[in-house]
Amino acid sequence: MDFHLSEDQQALVDAVQAILRDHADLPQAERLSYAWHDPALQALLAENGFLDAARSMGPLEAALVAFETARSLRSIEAMGSGLVAPMALPDRVVEGPVALAAERDLGRAIRNLTVARTLLVDCGEDSIVLPVDPGAVEQVASILGYPYGRFARAPDPASGQRIAGGGALLRQWWRTGIATEIAGAARAAIDFTIDHVTQRKVFGRAVGSFQAVQHRLVQRHGHARSTYYLAMRAAWSGRAGDADIAACHALLGIQPLLFDLHQFNGGMGVTTEHSLHFWTYRIRALQAEAGGLAGAALDIADRRWPAVEGANG
Amino acid sequence: MEFAWTDDQIDYRRRVRQALDELLPGDWDEAYVPESYASDKQVDFSRHFCAALAERGLLTPHWPRDYGGADCPDWYHFILGEEMKAAGEPRGSQYMNVNWIGPTLLKYGTAEQKARHVAGIAGGTVIWCQGFSEPGAGTDLAALRTRAERDGDHYVVNGSKIWTIYARRADWCFLLVRTGPGRKDVSILLVPMDTPGISVTSFPGLIKDGHLNEVFFTDVRVPVANRLGEEGQAWAIVTHALAFERVGVPRYHTGLDALDRAVEQLRAEGRWDGDPIVRHRAGLLVARFEAARMLTYLVVDQRVRGEPPNSDANLSRIVALDAVGDMMNFLADYLPDCLAGGDRLLEDYYRINIPAGITGGTNEIQLDLVARGGLGLPRG
Repeated sequence: MDFHLSEDQQALVDAVQAILRDHADLPQAERLSYAWHDPALQALLAENGFLDAARSMGPLEAALVAFETARSLRSIEAMGSGLVAPMALPDRVVEGPVALAAERDLGRAIRNLTVARTLLVDCGEDSIVLPVDPGAVEQVASILGYPYGRFARAPDPASGQRIAGGGALLRQWWRTGIATEIAGAARAAIDFTIDHVTQRKVFGRAVGSFQAVQHRLVQRHGHARSTYYLAMRAAWSGRAGDADIAACHALLGIQPLLFDLHQFNGGMGVTTEHSLHFWTYRIRALQAEAGGLAGAALDIADRRWPAVEGANG
Repeated sequence: MEFAWTDDQIDYRRRVRQALDELLPGDWDEAYVPESYASDKQVDFSRHFCAALAERGLLTPHWPRDYGGADCPDWYHFILGEEMKAAGEPRGSQYMNVNWIGPTLLKYGTAEQKARHVAGIAGGTVIWCQGFSEPGAGTDLAALRTRAERDGDHYVVNGSKIWTIYARRADWCFLLVRTGPGRKDVSILLVPMDTPGISVTSFPGLIKDGHLNEVFFTDVRVPVANRLGEEGQAWAIVTHALAFERVGVPRYHTGLDALDRAVEQLRAEGRWDGDPIVRHRAGLLVARFEAARMLTYLVVDQRVRGEPPNSDANLSRIVALDAVGDMMNFLADYLPDCLAGGDRLLEDYYRINIPAGITGGTNEIQLDLVARGGLGLPRG
């Protein structure tokens, strides 16, 4: 058991952080946006191999990349192409960026669909790999912190490549990715909020000096910190049960996290010039994916206490 | 970063489980666990049990070899704690000895004190109690009023301590006393509990009968040689000791065991498989306990690396307590009769956790410590 990054892992994180630092600010034209996907940054990360970390180093390293990119103000598609696709489809390489959707949601707005070249579809038992024709996708306006798109006409699942029995593996890595991105975005949003409450004064005192604020921020910090380690454990172990637990824990903390962080940022927290929403509404966007909280919780229960044949009730 | 146990650690856990199988009496769950750790029955058993663990080299593997250990990393200590708590803590009070009293004596004790105490702790034969809280001074230990006044080569102690579990049967007390007028003029005395002038009174409570005691000190003479550290050094020593104690109880482990037992009952009553709501609640609990496990392991890892204690220990306790509170609520929602004779082990889990947010420094203090030490938030 070792909770510290190895030298290679630290070097990877340092390198990603260096690139992200160079792209920390948003262009002036995007500062009031709800989300901004930077294709150049996406390409830079891909060209430098950071989105291949799952294959070249391992899934934990891919999760570390996804965690770091989730802390960025810019929306980067690292979860699908860097972690989920290589782990859910170990025998094939798909073109990124990669969007993820449940089959029943193909007619709805889909996260990252406007930038995706591939869509992985969770069909329950099976999964489907669908190439995305950008011309078939309409952009959808949303306050959620990712680019959203909808198919002009819902695609025919039969046009994709069906992976028999691939649904469980897709959901597993999707859940690991969700936990990882929530951990990263929550970390960034909490750090941002700590800066705000340290500087902003009310009644002659820093907002962050009030115990009512401090205690709740600590609880949110506890959620983010434990989610990070659960997500990393899930990536490291490759066990579906660990992924369920990581996602479940990440998701069950969303409501108080978003409420408290927006509360502590006050009126500024509801403006788009204040940046908080870039992280918090990215977290909100992930809330219902891969079965959401209820799906993950029920899978945990069913895995730990499998149904007994002939049981009552 | 990796999350696997080593082969040696797996083998150590196996040997601990084997020892539990061999050493616990057949009626352990029914006849012993429902009793207070401080009951005569459990205290007597713990002396026999811990001595047997020590003989097998399982009680203090993380201690230095010169003091009865095997120089193993602290992970072994936590594996031992997980298995003992899951079994209903047959070490009784001696979990404290291994968790923090022994390590604190090893760090701060004189050669004479180590010679006198450490072998007994490593041998599993001595019972200690913790004389910290007082009426009017709980988490705010600086408010304590029990005084020790110097009289030649002795201190004369007057005052009282409260909540002192194990006091009735303890051989020694790890006692905090005021030795000067300032808030931090507090020192530690190692006091034999059979010293004239000490009396113990038990009082009833929600936890278990015999669990809660008040200890009175009237002109109790304690040799100066029994002082641990320098006069006024208690804060540094207690801070060190409590950093161990905060992650000393693997609440994720006991919680998951209780949850397994609760599910078993619900299933037996036909209230599990067809009810997605109860399964959903149970799934959330597993996630909460696993989150607590991760933060506890993080703290152990920091200790193994020799890093100084930091606010992660406090954070780990906060996250664990949230999970424990949810678990108690789950029991009250779905198996309320466990508090009315329905299941003595679940009742034990519930009642032992009633004061979980208070012992070892209240949850609010943990939150304060993380706010300032971990997040760097400003003081009011």
